[in-house]
Amino acid sequence: MVAPPDNDVLWARALHFRHDDGSPGLSGVSLGVREGEILAVGGPRGSGKTTLLRCLSGLLPAKSGEVWFNSVPVHTMTPVARERLRRERFGWIDPAPLLVAELNVWENAALPLMLRGTGRRRAKTAALEWLERLDIGDTARRHPEELTHAERQRVCIARALAPAPSVLFADEPTAPLHRIDRAHVLRTLTTAARSHGITVVLATHDAQTAALADRTVSLLDGRRVHTLHLPPLPGTAETEGLAACSLSV
Amino acid sequence: MLALRLSLGSHPAVQLRRFLVAAASAGTGFLLLSALGHALAHPDPSVSALRLAWCAAPLAATVYFAVAVARTDPGTRPRPGLSAVGLGPARLMAISAVTTAVSCLLGSALALLVFLGLRGDLAAVPFDGAGTDFLAAGRPLPLPAALTLLALVPLSASAAVATALRPREPVTGAPRVPRVHGRFGAYRRTPVRESFGAYGRFGRQFGPSARGRRTAAAPEQEGAAEGAEGAAESAGVPPAAARTTPSGLPWGITVLAVGLAVEAFASRPGPGAPVDRPAVLLGLALACVGLALAGPGLTHLCGRLLQTIRPGTLRLLAGRVLMTEATRLGRPLGVVCAVMSAAYAMASLHEREDTSSAPLVALGVLLVAGCTVATLLTAAVESRQARAETTAALRRLGAPAVTLRRAAALRAGVLLALFGPLSLVVAELSAWPLTG
Repeated sequence: MVAPPDNDVLWARALHFRHDDGSPGLSGVSLGVREGEILAVGGPRGSGKTTLLRCLSGLLPAKSGEVWFNSVPVHTMTPVARERLRRERFGWIDPAPLLVAELNVWENAALPLMLRGTGRRRAKTAALEWLERLDIGDTARRHPEELTHAERQRVCIARALAPAPSVLFADEPTAPLHRIDRAHVLRTLTTAARSHGITVVLATHDAQTAALADRTVSLLDGRRVHTLHLPPLPGTAETEGLAACSLSV
Repeated sequence: MLALRLSLGSHPAVQLRRFLVAAASAGTGFLLLSALGHALAHPDPSVSALRLAWCAAPLAATVYFAVAVARTDPGTRPRPGLSAVGLGPARLMAISAVTTAVSCLLGSALALLVFLGLRGDLAAVPFDGAGTDFLAAGRPLPLPAALTLLALVPLSASAAVATALRPREPVTGAPRVPRVHGRFGAYRRTPVRESFGAYGRFGRQFGPSARGRRTAAAPEQEGAAEGAEGAAESAGVPPAAARTTPSGLPWGITVLAVGLAVEAFASRPGPGAPVDRPAVLLGLALACVGLALAGPGLTHLCGRLLQTIRPGTLRLLAGRVLMTEATRLGRPLGVVCAVMSAAYAMASLHEREDTSSAPLVALGVLLVAGCTVATLLTAAVESRQARAETTAALRRLGAPAVTLRRAAALRAGVLLALFGPLSLVVAELSAWPLTG
């Protein structure tokens, strides 16, 4: 067992993961996340970004390998301890805004704080502050279904940021959005993280999104790679590919 | 064929629910057949007709339960993959109707077998015991009549399932907030009515809505498209409940009060026992209908009370979920209460008994009570299925499972605390004029 470097808030070594149905997830991914940095995890769809984020945040137990958070081993924790770690230290943003439909916007944003045991008044104040910062303060009393997709996604970001987590995991937070909304959501996310010193692990398949991060780690087929340039197809004409795929050949 | 394949390859819990439907159908079919047997054995048609009429209650309970089971059936829910190959909501409706018909037919066949066996048509020796005149053992059974009666349950259950699950287009493109452009604020949507001078009133434009005025207008246009996408994505789960207050509470209370009043009015001292008058039964039925109507409203009220005055996470989750699921859970809960109070009232006044029908009455009461309770449990399952995604999101946030479980227990406890005494009070009130 190698002791992790001191300046890494999150550190993973040789993570292996295999899904329940036997399909390979991760095969030997190692990475370190420094404190306060925004790390983009790049790669095409199916390259294991979401699985990596889930393993890092303790949602999925890795089959083998180590995950350390602030010199605490996550891979040996019990499920209850991991749940508590997620609640107290981590934030999570889904690709789709999954809000609790019964609660209104500020209650949704204050929910993680209240789950931690913060009083209602303080949780409300913090949630309203974050909603104001993310430009959706005027929707605080409305219900999630009255908002647009981009607004709901911003509510999710406020919900993840309000408890001031140590590490924020964002799994393709802008995938279903148009480019204008995408830029807005990303800008608010990165600005908030930088100004509050929150470490962000951002999974994205978009090179423009990855450009906003400090550092990019690329995955391909569950492995960490240094370049993502796949070899170009031989020949440039489309007709060749067409002929190769044609059944009549 | 596809319906059979889909129903055979499903989860044991789903099979258990279908089996329960078959059992309920068997019980109802047996009651119908025994009404027929009674008519064969006795020349007086009015008594047999009354018996047949009493079979309406188990029949309704069975159909209600079958619809609830069909709603929760994961095999016949719209799925994106099947929809892409042309198995859309319409075909799935047909499949769930066929599935329901199959389980009900199984039950009916079982009922016929048991009835014939008891009569002695299959075995050599007919069942011999007290009060078996409903079997009409010595007479030939008219087969068309029996089959018609037995087809009643599958047909009505399938029709009810098809009606309940008929494909409905979601209204896309309709604005969620009614767009009303006020006369004064030309660039701001004002759903509330603006009276003269409302715009310029002091302090009106200082609020948070005034501050967000510029940003709020732009992203509204994509709402419809996103909503349609969301509907397509969440096709695998039951539709989420609408966030509206159920409106049945005043009506329910009114009908309940009218029912109790009719009952009290009909059971004034006079010739004959009060139990035999039809007005008394009408009053009891009205009281039950009122209780069933008031169920969603009372559930909503429970949720509202639970989440008032500075709620923490536990009360907030429990109360809001109760408010949202008020219609889904409240209606079967009201029905269960109505059945319980009716059974209590009937039991407290039935000293006079003809022993010939006692087992059949017991079977009928058991059927109605079992079906309504099973419907309530199935509704709880449906609500849990509908909220599975939200629960998963909460778990990802790190919400402890204990909190979620406690919230569910709190919900159940509050509902029990309200509806238990309520149905007792209604039962006492409806039994009081009859016994006094």
